[in-house]
Amino acid sequence: MAVLLDNVTYSYNINDTHRIDAVKQLSLHIEEGTFVALVGHNGSGKSTLAKLLNGLLMPTSGEVKIFGKSTLDPNNIYEIRKNVGMVFQNPDNQMIASIVEDDVAFGPENLGIERDEIIRRVEWALSKVDMLEYRKRTPFKMSGGQKQRLAIAGVLAIKPKILVLDESTAMLDPQGRSEVLKVAHELNKQDGITVIHITHFMEEALDADRLIVMNDGRISFDGTPREVFKHYEELKTIKLAVPWETQMAISLHKAGIDMGEGIVNEEELVEKLCQLL
Amino acid sequence: MPIVIKHLSFTYSANTPYEKKALKNINLEINEGDFLGIIGHTGSGKSTFIQHINGLIKPQQGEVEIFDLKLTPAKKPKVNLRDLRSKVGMVFQYPEYQLFADTVEKDVAFGPKNLGLSAEEVAKRVKTAIEMVGLDYEAVKDRAPFELSGGQKRRVAIAGIIAMQPKVLILDEPTAGLDPYGKEQILNLIKYLKTHCSPTIIVISHDIDEITRFANRIVVFNDAQIAYDEPMQQLFKHSRQLQKMGLDIPRAVKVVNNLRARGVDLGDDIVTAEDLLKAIIARYNEKHSAQIDEGACVFDMYDFSQKWLTSEEREELGLIPKSEEVPKAQSKTRKPNKKTKPRKTKDEEGKE
Repeated sequence: MAVLLDNVTYSYNINDTHRIDAVKQLSLHIEEGTFVALVGHNGSGKSTLAKLLNGLLMPTSGEVKIFGKSTLDPNNIYEIRKNVGMVFQNPDNQMIASIVEDDVAFGPENLGIERDEIIRRVEWALSKVDMLEYRKRTPFKMSGGQKQRLAIAGVLAIKPKILVLDESTAMLDPQGRSEVLKVAHELNKQDGITVIHITHFMEEALDADRLIVMNDGRISFDGTPREVFKHYEELKTIKLAVPWETQMAISLHKAGIDMGEGIVNEEELVEKLCQLL
Repeated sequence: MPIVIKHLSFTYSANTPYEKKALKNINLEINEGDFLGIIGHTGSGKSTFIQHINGLIKPQQGEVEIFDLKLTPAKKPKVNLRDLRSKVGMVFQYPEYQLFADTVEKDVAFGPKNLGLSAEEVAKRVKTAIEMVGLDYEAVKDRAPFELSGGQKRRVAIAGIIAMQPKVLILDEPTAGLDPYGKEQILNLIKYLKTHCSPTIIVISHDIDEITRFANRIVVFNDAQIAYDEPMQQLFKHSRQLQKMGLDIPRAVKVVNNLRARGVDLGDDIVTAEDLLKAIIARYNEKHSAQIDEGACVFDMYDFSQKWLTSEEREELGLIPKSEEVPKAQSKTRKPNKKTKPRKTKDEEGKE
C-alpha cells in the first residue's frame, strides 16, 4: 500500500479559542501505481492532505503511513520524504540554482549520492520531462510550464515512488498545463510512479484512474471519473463543476434530447450528436 | 474615442544580446463601451501592450492617446500620469499579492487618496467600491485583508482600483488560480462593473471560453503584432490559424468544427455554450419533428446565485450567526482576550 491514512484529523489553531479542522477523520488507501486526481474547492482541505503525506504536517490525531511507515516516527521522515516528491503551485518559487542541471542535481547532492550517479540521474530526470536540451540554460526566463517540468525533474532525481502535484497546474496557461499533465501521466505509465494530482480543474481528472473529491475536510466522492461525474448535482453544491462536455450533454438531456449517460469528453459528445442530428 | 494607439513599437534590452521586440507597429482604436478581450500566448506582447495604456511604459516609438492625454517618446510636454491613472485602472495578475495595508478600508483608500481627493470623497468612494465588489463594508472595513479568503482578497484588490472610478478598466488574467466557483464570482463582478463603474473594459485571459462569455471584440496578439481584431462572433472563422498560433478555441467551436467534419453543419456563428445548445435543439427539432423550446434550455455549469456572498462567506464575515460547531466548551474554559475583539471569523483559505 503506497499511502494509508487512518482516521486522520488535522487542526489549525486560529487563536487561543478557535481551531479549524482542515482534515476531518479521514481514512484513505492508495495502491502503488495509481494515478489519483484530488479535487476540491479552495479551503476544502486538499492541500493540507498533501502536506500530511510527506510529514510536512503531522496529523493531530490518526496516522499517515507511506509504504507502511508512519510519518509520526521521526526515524521514518527521511525515507518518507525520499519516497514522496512534492511539486507546488508557484513555478517561480521552486528554483534554487541558476543553471537547469544544477537545480536538478540539488536533491541527489543532498542525499550524498556519488557524482557519476548524480549525472546519470540528472540526465534521466531531464529527459523524462523532455527538458534535456535545456540542461545548460537558466530556468529564470522559461515559461511556467517549463519551470514546472523542471521542478518535477528536480523531484524525480531523488527517485520518489510517489509524486504529489499540489495545484502545480493552477498558475499555468493551457499549454503549460497540458505539458505538465502529459509528463505526469507518462511517469505513471512508464515508470509506475504513483501520482496524486491536486487540482480544481475537473477536466484534468478525466484520465485519472481514480478521482477523489474533497469537501469540508472529508472525502465526498471516490471512484473513477465517470462514476463521480454522475453526481453532477451534488458536485455543484460543493462549488465544483463537471467537464464542459458533460455539462453540455446534461443540459441537452434535461431539455428532452436523450443523450444517454456518461459523456465525459469531446469525442463522445460529437459521436452522440452525430447519431442524433 | 477613448484610446487610440498609433504605430506603437517596443523593444526590451535594445542593443544588447538579450534584445527582444515585444511590440511591432501596433495600431488599435479602443472605443468607449468596448468589452475587449485580448488573447495571445505567453510572450506575444499583450502585457507590454496594456502597460502602455496606463503609462507604466513610455512609448519608444509611436504614440498612445488616452482621452485627451497623449503619450509619445518625446520628453515634453510632460503628461500628468496621475490624471491618466485616474482614468485607466489596471488590475494586475494575482492582485491580492499587492495588498499591503493593515485594514481593508485603508488598502482600498490608497488609490483615491493619492488622487488628491477630499477625505469625505475618499471615504464615500471606498464604501461604494467595497460594496460594488460584493463585500459588506461594515463587516470587512476594519479587518486585515490577509484574513480573507483568496477570492475575497482578490475582490478587495479590485475594489482598490475601482475606488478611483476609472473610465477604462484593464484586468490581466483576473481569474487565474481561482477555483471554478471563485472564477464565476469574478466574471460576474466584471460584468457588473461594466454597467455600473467602468464603461470600457479590457481583459487579458488565457481561457477563451471565459473571454467569449462577455467580450464583444477580441484582439489576438501573436509574435509582437496584432494578428486579428474582430467582433467576438467573427473571430473563430480563423480557428485553424488560431490553433496554429498555439491558442485555444472555444469548446463550442471545436464541437461545431468536428461535427462539420463528419457531415453535420450547424453554421458558423456558434461561439458560446448557449449558442451551441440552441443550434443543436433547432436541428434536433427539425430532424425529429420535435418541439423542444430552446429558450428553456440553460447551460448551468455552476450552482451560482447572483449574490456574490455565499452563506458561508456571510458567516465568515460575521454577517449571520455561525450555524454550528462553535466550540462552546473551549471558550468557557479559556478567558477571552481582554481588549481585542474576539475574532469570530477564520481564514480557511490560507490554512488549507
